[in-house]
Amino acid sequence: MTGSERVSASPSTSPLRIVGDVTVGFPASRTGYGQATYGNTQPQTERATWIAVWPDGSVTAYAGKVEYGQNIRTGLAIEVADELRVGLDDVEVVLGDTDRVPWDMGTFGSQSTARVGWQLRKAAATAREAILALASDRLDLPASDLEASAGQVRPKADPSRGISYADLLAGQSIEREISERPAVFGPSEFTLMGRAQRQRVDALDRVTGRAVYSQDVLPAGVLYASILRPPAYGARPTRIDLSAAERMPGVARVVDEGDLIAVLGESDEAAALGARAAVIDWQLREGQPSRFDMPALLVESGVDGYAVQEAGDLDEGFRAASSVIESTYYIPYIAPAPMEPRAAVAVWEGDRLTVWAGTQRPFGIRQELAAAFGIEESRVRVIAPEIGGGFGAKSPYGLAIEAARLAKVAGRPVRVAFTRGEETMWSNFRPAAIVRIKSGFDAHGRITAWQSDAYHSGERVMIGRRGADTPYDVPHVRSLVYRSDSPLPSGSYRSLGAAVNHFARETHMDEIAEAAGLDPVELRLRNLSHPRFRRVLETAASDFGWSGPRLGEGRGAGIALGIDVGSYVATAVEVSVAGRDVRVHRVQASLDCGLVVNPEGALNQMEGSIVMGLGGTLFEASDFEDGRLLNAGFARYRVPRIVDTPRIDVRFVGDDTDPSTGAGEPGLVPLSAAVTGAVWGATGVRHRELPVTRHL
Amino acid sequence: MTITLNVNGARREAAHGERNLLSFLRFDLGLTGTKYGCGEGLCGACTVLVDGQALRSCMTTVGAVAGGEVTTIEGLSPGTSVEDLHPVQRAFVEEQAMQCGYCIPGFIMGAVGLLNRRPDASAGEIREALAEHMCRCGTYQRIAAAVERAASGEGAS
Ligand code: FES
Ligand code: FES
Repeated sequence: MTGSERVSASPSTSPLRIVGDVTVGFPASRTGYGQATYGNTQPQTERATWIAVWPDGSVTAYAGKVEYGQNIRTGLAIEVADELRVGLDDVEVVLGDTDRVPWDMGTFGSQSTARVGWQLRKAAATAREAILALASDRLDLPASDLEASAGQVRPKADPSRGISYADLLAGQSIEREISERPAVFGPSEFTLMGRAQRQRVDALDRVTGRAVYSQDVLPAGVLYASILRPPAYGARPTRIDLSAAERMPGVARVVDEGDLIAVLGESDEAAALGARAAVIDWQLREGQPSRFDMPALLVESGVDGYAVQEAGDLDEGFRAASSVIESTYYIPYIAPAPMEPRAAVAVWEGDRLTVWAGTQRPFGIRQELAAAFGIEESRVRVIAPEIGGGFGAKSPYGLAIEAARLAKVAGRPVRVAFTRGEETMWSNFRPAAIVRIKSGFDAHGRITAWQSDAYHSGERVMIGRRGADTPYDVPHVRSLVYRSDSPLPSGSYRSLGAAVNHFARETHMDEIAEAAGLDPVELRLRNLSHPRFRRVLETAASDFGWSGPRLGEGRGAGIALGIDVGSYVATAVEVSVAGRDVRVHRVQASLDCGLVVNPEGALNQMEGSIVMGLGGTLFEASDFEDGRLLNAGFARYRVPRIVDTPRIDVRFVGDDTDPSTGAGEPGLVPLSAAVTGAVWGATGVRHRELPVTRHL
Repeated sequence: MTITLNVNGARREAAHGERNLLSFLRFDLGLTGTKYGCGEGLCGACTVLVDGQALRSCMTTVGAVAGGEVTTIEGLSPGTSVEDLHPVQRAFVEEQAMQCGYCIPGFIMGAVGLLNRRPDASAGEIREALAEHMCRCGTYQRIAAAVERAASGEGAS
């Protein structure tokens, strides 16, 4: 079967199907989290096909995740191919199409390999067991005397008598439930997992321009929408005159539905020129806070202090201390700014709606669309094609509803696409935050008390809580996280609040080291008993050649550790500072994310998250005033470039026997504190506010 | 007034000379491998070659390039297998220099433009030439390695 035949065939026509529970994408304990964070949906069906094996022995795996750069297509293909003992090229992975894949809450929180990968491994192992059972009948040998390899089943005693999967499956129609305890392979039996792969399974499409992103979906007869959006947050139209726009050449129609004002053109150009001819008066909302109000606003508006960690008695802890220090850390909003601005295309066929949307939550968007139009979810199909970066920003996807509303009015397919400026302004930002930490420690640098109060902007409390607890051995501790007002829309961003909370905590650890006259690595080790934390810290320090923060001649070194999405991480960096120029020369990270299924993929994710972390550490801050975003485009919003990229080395130190945990986000969490620690080593100046280059 | 130009070796017609080149390629010709990232000449996602030189298609018009030969990522190689890719494309595959991939066609075209001018560009020249290209996924270390590999002729057929 060719790839395209396989992809379009219904799994029900395949000779072997493996079905199973869909909620594995987010188990019950996390469903509440997903709902609190994204207002997400419950599955409409409980079971779905995870794997289909075709008559020629090739395999399709189905997963509700989406591909937005984390390379899960390759990772999942490796897991399925290894468990099923077929070639990597024989596995196709279908993602993110609500009509074809198991329900999923959304692609965030680095759950893809951990949850869905495990489910697919079990499904693939179940399929292998089913194939072995067929061979056992055929060869009249117990399954235990047989082994599967390279798409064949062979008697262990006589490997020359192999039968291909295709032969075994001829004429079959088997449906199997995923076994409770399928015989998944252990690390010593892996043939693909944990090994370097020559290339990504989707590499060819990515280097030839064939990969289709939501911006690239152009069905026949599509109308291009230019939506007239407010120039500032909270602005309302007081006069709308679209008559001149309507007369412009190539304008198919204009739409004014109060909350949705648009010009629909036969081309992007006609729509844009039409929109320019529209006359709208906007009334701005007065008295909105500006960026300068943030530090005070965060603290004053903070409510619902939630104890992420509480033990012992703080008073007693501070009494036991020989020194007490207190610091405040401030982190401004930053923009996710994925390279692909969001786009959506909607097509109605009768009361059946199809929307292409590069969202991290195709099933959540399906539910929102169904609710918006009062139709059954089964009438709505959301297809998430390739996604040009997300980092959390593409969980909300209002464009999907806009495109569907406009397509309904126009009776034709409609495409809505953000410009760069719109993408930035109408995105969620990483929350701004203030973290206050007071600590007490004894003469040996052992921490006796730790009091932390973190104020994160935004309604979504889980964001600020992530990473707000300390991993150090502190007998008396209280870490509270508050929810504060947010003048800008704030929401998820790679690692959520973990990077922010880690910046504050790890910088504070450096301050304790300074006050206690100890090396930052030594200070941390004195307060750290957890073996996985110790291991990442010790390997990062020794791989880096750690010799302390002060390297002389304007150079410094910094180190920090952390945990995110279940993975342990430590990072050491070397910087030089000359005037207002901060250069990060090298980064040495050590990651324990359990079993690494696709080492090259995990490495790529670590490298990327480190580069992204450099942006928020050194340059990025979103500026706003009177409801206007002042740096919405790239002209005034500096993101890391190739010339800013240091040499990055990563060592994986986890055990193959520990389950896989995330690799896409942990790289970000220790980075800011490692860099500011290094800047301190270079200059003697302690940076408690980001981005560093604004405070030099 | 319609205007004709050469794209990937074929004569193509545009409705008028003021048509934005990026829009023309993507929407009129369906060559969506060339990406929109900013529309302001700042990110490099829209880079194409005109007479072998890298150019930001979002910042120019069809009329301005009408006399030249425009090459987009689709025209760089047949691209049916890794073997028949352009050496720069192949180097990106071999270094796994891609994450979401959205910036990658622009980087490849920028790198091809550089290597057309300076076939043995140094690591420093490569970084300088690609300094105005953005990859928000942060794939830079691999992109640099891929272009260096192509420049050194390593793995070239
Ligand atoms: S889209 Fe042309 S440079 Fe960004
Ligand atoms: S690979 Fe995603 S922007 Fe470069």
